[in-house]
Amino acid sequence: MTPDLKVQLAGIEFANPIMTASGCCGYGEELAGVFPLSKLGALVTKSITLKPRLGHPPPRTAETASGMLNAIGLANVGIDQFVAEKVPFLATQKTRIIVNVAGSKLQEYIEVATRLDDCEVVDMIELNISCPNVDEGGMEFGADPKMTEKSVAAVKKVFSRPVIAKLSPNVTSIVQIAQAAEQGGADAFSIINSLVGTSIDIETRRPRLTNNRGGLTGPAIKPVALAMVDAVYRSGCRPPIIGIGGIADYRDVVEFMLCGASAVQIGTALFIAPDTPVKIARDLKAYLKRTKLQSVTELIGKVKRY
Amino acid sequence: MSKIACQDTLITKKRHLSQDYFSLTFSPVSRANRCVPGQFIHLLLPSTDVTFRRAFSVASVSEDGNELEIIFRVVGRGTTLLAGLAKGDRVNILVPLGNRFTIPRKNERVLLIGGGIGFPPMMFLASRLLAKGHPADKIEFFYGGRSKDDILERTRIKKLGVRFHPVTEDGSFGEKGLVTQPVERVISEATGEKMRMYACGPEPMLKAVEALGVKYGIPGEISVEAPMPCGFGVCLGCVLPLKAGGYTRVCTDGPVYPFGEVVL
Repeated sequence: MTPDLKVQLAGIEFANPIMTASGCCGYGEELAGVFPLSKLGALVTKSITLKPRLGHPPPRTAETASGMLNAIGLANVGIDQFVAEKVPFLATQKTRIIVNVAGSKLQEYIEVATRLDDCEVVDMIELNISCPNVDEGGMEFGADPKMTEKSVAAVKKVFSRPVIAKLSPNVTSIVQIAQAAEQGGADAFSIINSLVGTSIDIETRRPRLTNNRGGLTGPAIKPVALAMVDAVYRSGCRPPIIGIGGIADYRDVVEFMLCGASAVQIGTALFIAPDTPVKIARDLKAYLKRTKLQSVTELIGKVKRY
Repeated sequence: MSKIACQDTLITKKRHLSQDYFSLTFSPVSRANRCVPGQFIHLLLPSTDVTFRRAFSVASVSEDGNELEIIFRVVGRGTTLLAGLAKGDRVNILVPLGNRFTIPRKNERVLLIGGGIGFPPMMFLASRLLAKGHPADKIEFFYGGRSKDDILERTRIKKLGVRFHPVTEDGSFGEKGLVTQPVERVISEATGEKMRMYACGPEPMLKAVEALGVKYGIPGEISVEAPMPCGFGVCLGCVLPLKAGGYTRVCTDGPVYPFGEVVL
């Protein structure tokens, strides 16, 4: 019997546990030129804000040991253009659609979520309360338990389908933030967003990013992400976890699921090998077969701890 | 949207051209025959010492469309690793990427201007134009470098039959000075002929070429480079500011831009 890759999150079924991470696949059009998006469990869009944002001046990215830094600055078309020009394309794609929502004020999150509630194609929204690259909002929301609870609760009021809270690793206790998000009504967690970092060119003595600092992603952050997924899973929070951080192959996915993730998102790896999700799905199936499991869900939280 | 092939390929030929310059030929490459001048490949090095792919302009594709050549100079970590690869080594490439040069009318005099390692796309464009029947005596190939060792593939360019104008800063080969000197001379000597310019090279050269275009009212295009994580339009890392405001993605909106469009 072929092993089953289907997973359920917040009452929604996904063809497999593999999603794209926000900011790593635009609005899906480009990635569809590499492989059919139906191969994904879900596509997570770039962060959408109320008004269009141009983003930061270049350079916006820098290579680091086993990873990268980015400070794109939430460049996006804004909710109006997203609904008018991007949603029609997404509606033709046979995969689940999750829209990432960002803002600098609570009211902006509410307005964007209200608009998205009218777009039937949007299965879930993911709240970016953890972006390290904007001056206000973003990470500030996600670093404070009260603001986290308040933002999730406010968005839950206007969006009738499940809401995911994307959590920042740049906090003292991610468990405390997760509990606050659950209190606010979060239906799932995405763990983690990027870690704050920077890099300096010693000849020019300037930071390699015009934003002076950015978010570290890629294989370098995987151990940190795994430990945070593990901590939230073991804390007894009820919402399922979507694991993110440096996933590049099926082995990484298995690790995240063993630590408690019900699904995963692929970010930086898409820049390096855009067909990564397809390869992971194939290899994950082979792994399940080899280890005699019927369903990928049998891996969730099954790490044998010492 | 265009289809991109993410594929493993083999190095089938490696040539050391001079000093730090190398030519690599890859085969088999599906969609190589779809590559047009101006486009590039994004190459994944088989090493964890680098995270990102590296972008290289296409220098040529074989007639059967099975082989693709790049020419590069060793400048950093990625190109050092690439120069260390040998015939038979496997690499992964994304191809074809980027937009393309506008094809000129056959009655237009074409000024191709390559500076340093910017010459490969100019060579690809020259051979494609000749294959499309553009008269060889209407193609001027300007190639500037610091000294003789920077002017590569001289025999190959001469064999094309185009009008070859090598220029070196130290005068060790061809004319002494900057590449824009003979460009301006050819422009001012031309009488009532329609012209079009194409340039790829260092930023100061691109700026000087654009300035000549403005001065003499000649249309043209430049091919630019930028550090590029993804190469297919999703990461928004390789942007350049537009004169009209906002940013452009070099990987998908470029790398070829009409004169005056991007802020260099």
